[in-house]
Amino acid sequence: KDDKAIDMTTSEKVVDLLNQAALIATDSKLTVLKQVQELIINKDPSLLDNFLDEIIAFQTDKSMEVRKFVIGFIEEACKRDNELLLRLIANLNMLLKDESVNVVKKAILTFTQLYKVALQWFVRSKVMSEMQEACWDMVTQMKEDILAMLDIDNDGVRTHAIKFTESLIITLSPRTSDSDTPKRQEGDISLDKIPKDHPYIRYDTLCEEGKSALEQLLKFMVHPAISSINLTTALGSLATLARQRPMFMSEVVQAYETLHANLPPTLAKSQVSSVRKNLKLHLLAVLKHPCSLEFQGQISTLLLDLGMSQNEIARNTPAPREQRKRPR
Amino acid sequence: MPSHPLRVAVVCSSNQNRSMEAHNILSKRGFDVRSFGTGSHVKLPGPAPDKPNVYDFKTTYEQMYNDLVRKDKELYTQNGILHMLDRNKRIKSRPERFQSCKEQFDLVITCEERVYDQVLEDLSSREQETFTPVHVINVDIQDNHEEATLGAFLICELCQCIQHTDDMENEMDELLQEFEDKSNRPFLHTVCFY
Repeated sequence: KDDKAIDMTTSEKVVDLLNQAALIATDSKLTVLKQVQELIINKDPSLLDNFLDEIIAFQTDKSMEVRKFVIGFIEEACKRDNELLLRLIANLNMLLKDESVNVVKKAILTFTQLYKVALQWFVRSKVMSEMQEACWDMVTQMKEDILAMLDIDNDGVRTHAIKFTESLIITLSPRTSDSDTPKRQEGDISLDKIPKDHPYIRYDTLCEEGKSALEQLLKFMVHPAISSINLTTALGSLATLARQRPMFMSEVVQAYETLHANLPPTLAKSQVSSVRKNLKLHLLAVLKHPCSLEFQGQISTLLLDLGMSQNEIARNTPAPREQRKRPR
Repeated sequence: MPSHPLRVAVVCSSNQNRSMEAHNILSKRGFDVRSFGTGSHVKLPGPAPDKPNVYDFKTTYEQMYNDLVRKDKELYTQNGILHMLDRNKRIKSRPERFQSCKEQFDLVITCEERVYDQVLEDLSSREQETFTPVHVINVDIQDNHEEATLGAFLICELCQCIQHTDDMENEMDELLQEFEDKSNRPFLHTVCFY
């Protein structure tokens, strides 16, 4: 009975806020747009569809903070209503090619989340419409574009591309009983949940794409002119991979060994200290995983080299008996 | 240049001297700053090197002040501890532990290597969610009043330079190298993700 009255006011309020946003300067414009987002995503999602175009129109705003806001809005909207991916993925694709690196970085972060959302949504569809197929094709293309950014000129964009690659490899490989999966990601899609008889999404293709992403990450790491921050980021990604996908532990330990023996000559002295410290931290995290058994020799040697005491190494080594127990 | 002020955390062991000195200066210069300690307890010098005053992180600066006045007003006036606590309580009510704070920052600056290690350990043990990067930089500062003041100015200058970069992440490496040369101290630097 009262619902309609409330709807009217929320809707009118949104119109009013959007009119304000069109006229005012940046700082307060963001505040107003955030109010609109709160109203149509959380307070009354039935309005989302109505005002989508008005909000998305701000993707060409002069201010990069407003464009970043639009990206955040796309993420929230698509998570709230997966169907909106069909309309919004092209907008995100445009923003991924924005002239401001800060907008590009935000677009990568959002796409990292939406890739999983899209895959999960499409996998549930037994029949794919042409629109859905086109949307998945674009998602696949965007994935390739971001992987290619591992070679881009900008350090920060590369950092974000590495984190996307990490997340992609986790998604496109199977979760197993050994996987150390963070609580928040327990509901995430991964290769083991992809049906082999899907009308459009091919299990084998995804599996190959995952392997290829890992190869690209490993190749990226041995680039002789890699920056210390990118190297640090990649070291952390490898530790995450080893813990969440122990099937890759061999590749990861091998990569750590190679790196330890050939630190990039371009690193300054203090950067070498920072990288070695990181390597120690991540090796320890891998060592603590119950699947580290066959690599304990290699890992201990590296840790000794990095200055850790025999005692400390022993303290962090899981006992062989516990090997089959689930971590945590 | 990012349009919002950098969100900075300065971290030392007990959130009393080094991090508070930097907190003071940074907030006066308009930064969005918070300060923390990483220790399990808050330690202040006592009557002898092996007899520190130990408090938990719930104790307010005011309570510590009153406690020390009661114990030995002259000693703690002379060694500057009361003065420091008096300054601290004007900034915030009590020390805070970094590991208990879930707020996100752009930049975390630590004041000694052990604290840097603890920050890294804490950040990398958290579950990643958004992959938003946070840069962690260690600037070694000795734990005494004079060094804390010098260190705070160095941290402030560093933050100002970072705030004024067009593209912080792309310029960070180079900027830190310049600062190392200029200040003649090595900086540890890494990136973690929320």
